[in-house]
Amino acid sequence: MTPRPALVSPLTVLGSGLVGAVLVVAVLAPLLSPFDPRELTGDALEAPSGRHLLGTNNIGQDIASQLIWGARMSLSLAVGAAGLSVAIGLLVGVTAGLLGGLLDVVVLRTIDVVLALPRLPLLVLVGALAGAGRVTLILVIALLTWPVIARLVRSQTLTLRRRGYVIAARGFGGGLGYVARRHVVPALAPILVTGFVAIASNAVLLEAALAFLGLSDPTAVSWGLVLNRALNHPGIYYTSAWAWWLLPAGFAITLTVLGFAFLGGGLEPVFNPRWQRGATA
Amino acid sequence: MGPPTTTTSEPVATVGAEVAGLSPPAGNAPSASRHRPRVRLLLSYVVTVLLLITLNFFLPRAMPGDPIDALTTEGTPSYVQDEAVRSEIREYYGLDRPLLTQYGGYLAGLARGDLGVSIRYNVPVTDLVKERLPWTVLLISSALAIAVAGGWAAGVHSAWRRGRGVDRTLMAAFLALHSFPVFFVASVAVLVFSVKLGWFPLSGSRTPFSRATNPLWWALDVGRHLVLPANVLALNFVTSQYLTMRASLVGELGSDYLLLGRAKGLPERRLKYRYAGRNALLPVVTLAALHLGFAVTGSILVETVFAYKGMGRLVFEAVSFRDCPTLAGCFLVLTFVVLTLNFLVEGLYSRLDPRIAA
Repeated sequence: MTPRPALVSPLTVLGSGLVGAVLVVAVLAPLLSPFDPRELTGDALEAPSGRHLLGTNNIGQDIASQLIWGARMSLSLAVGAAGLSVAIGLLVGVTAGLLGGLLDVVVLRTIDVVLALPRLPLLVLVGALAGAGRVTLILVIALLTWPVIARLVRSQTLTLRRRGYVIAARGFGGGLGYVARRHVVPALAPILVTGFVAIASNAVLLEAALAFLGLSDPTAVSWGLVLNRALNHPGIYYTSAWAWWLLPAGFAITLTVLGFAFLGGGLEPVFNPRWQRGATA
Repeated sequence: MGPPTTTTSEPVATVGAEVAGLSPPAGNAPSASRHRPRVRLLLSYVVTVLLLITLNFFLPRAMPGDPIDALTTEGTPSYVQDEAVRSEIREYYGLDRPLLTQYGGYLAGLARGDLGVSIRYNVPVTDLVKERLPWTVLLISSALAIAVAGGWAAGVHSAWRRGRGVDRTLMAAFLALHSFPVFFVASVAVLVFSVKLGWFPLSGSRTPFSRATNPLWWALDVGRHLVLPANVLALNFVTSQYLTMRASLVGELGSDYLLLGRAKGLPERRLKYRYAGRNALLPVVTLAALHLGFAVTGSILVETVFAYKGMGRLVFEAVSFRDCPTLAGCFLVLTFVVLTLNFLVEGLYSRLDPRIAA
């Protein structure tokens, strides 16, 4: 048995630092942002100054405030989508794993089918038809990503079902519901945590990509929308505005995704049993 | 007998990698397909395609109102004010008939290659797709070639020196690379290479209004327009290629043939690239094909930034004009192509590698 990797690895620290910072910004947005992100508070395309830390966009909105409020959009969407996806995946995976039989077959086939669907084209279609509001996006992202969780949960449940303590609990008359609550779900926590982090980071990217394509609530404030407006501004590349309009929004998205990736990468060896079976290659 | 785990023989794949598309979806994973009968594979494929078609049909109809409402309400380019005209349009498109009849008509149309008519261009969607699809195929295949080559070289090097500084640096760099949104990388690439340095054209897939009399000139022009988008798109999935190659080659490292080669005194370079590198290549090639779905996602974004005249740009244009028939048609064609290629690759996998044909 290889020793358990340390819970606090540099990756975990870096990742939780980044995600934590975005979280703080998102929660404290009303206090931190100098202006209302929708208000016209300056001239068009003002360069960064003491008043406008990241300058203004083409209609004179404060870009720093937009990025600060954008953190709210990205993070709430990520947490909502990941939470829902993990919940569905857990429910379906545990049920299929414990009950088995025909249900299990149906679940497995469904997982295959849903995973085969390309995510962005489908999101674009739904976004164009139903509008790309926050709730719609959360629902669709969750519906597209739950199979990843469900498959892992199911296979873990299958191995847990054969463990001595679970068999003992069943032998003493514990019902399936009891076994699921008392023994299976707690043992699945690692998968759920790492899965949550991974889906959250994917959701941030998907939201940004959709807003970038112009599929977003036009009154919302989001990082992808800032990029969309900047790139649609004629001649953005020939003014110096790209340096404070385009780059910071891009880096905000990147750092958030990177934060989630580091967090996931740092937590995975601690949680994933496969890493402990001498898989140190 | 140990605990009945289903996962011990697989390489270490992380949950995170799976969600982010860094490892192949296990439903289609080569390791799974080896044990899966061909018939079930075909069945699963057919069900998926049918589901897609059905989704494509019912999605617009499940929305509040009906497709005609969506297309003719205020604010859309095709706004129709008169209620009587609207109901006439509805009748013309057969939207007043029962849903199942409509569905039958839709399937019959699809079988004839009829994807409806674009609202913006007023031409059949099939014609638009025929014009745009070759450009996307060119873009994606060039990007895949670049990604496979780059991921292969870096992966071999990393695995050869696993655990050392080079390996760690490469690993961190590739993981960081994967976190940059592709449309952001694309716009920075335009800024640096087209605007500041002026090496490549700003946008488009070829010089507009040019009359190519010389095929060589034409090829050069297309190539010049292709360099930036293809490389940016390649960056988008080179990470998964690298990770797979590295894992696959690490698996080869203890092999007898390498020991023998060393004993014979073969040069290190030859062992590394010609021997181990070639034997570890198969998962990478398979992965490249299975990752087409992610390539399609990337190409929508990359083509949008570069105004590259492919399917992705068509999707973007359709979004901006709320051109739903075109959007639905593109969606159907793209997913159908991806699924079919996935299916073919999965079926072919065992024939590619003589070692697992048994």
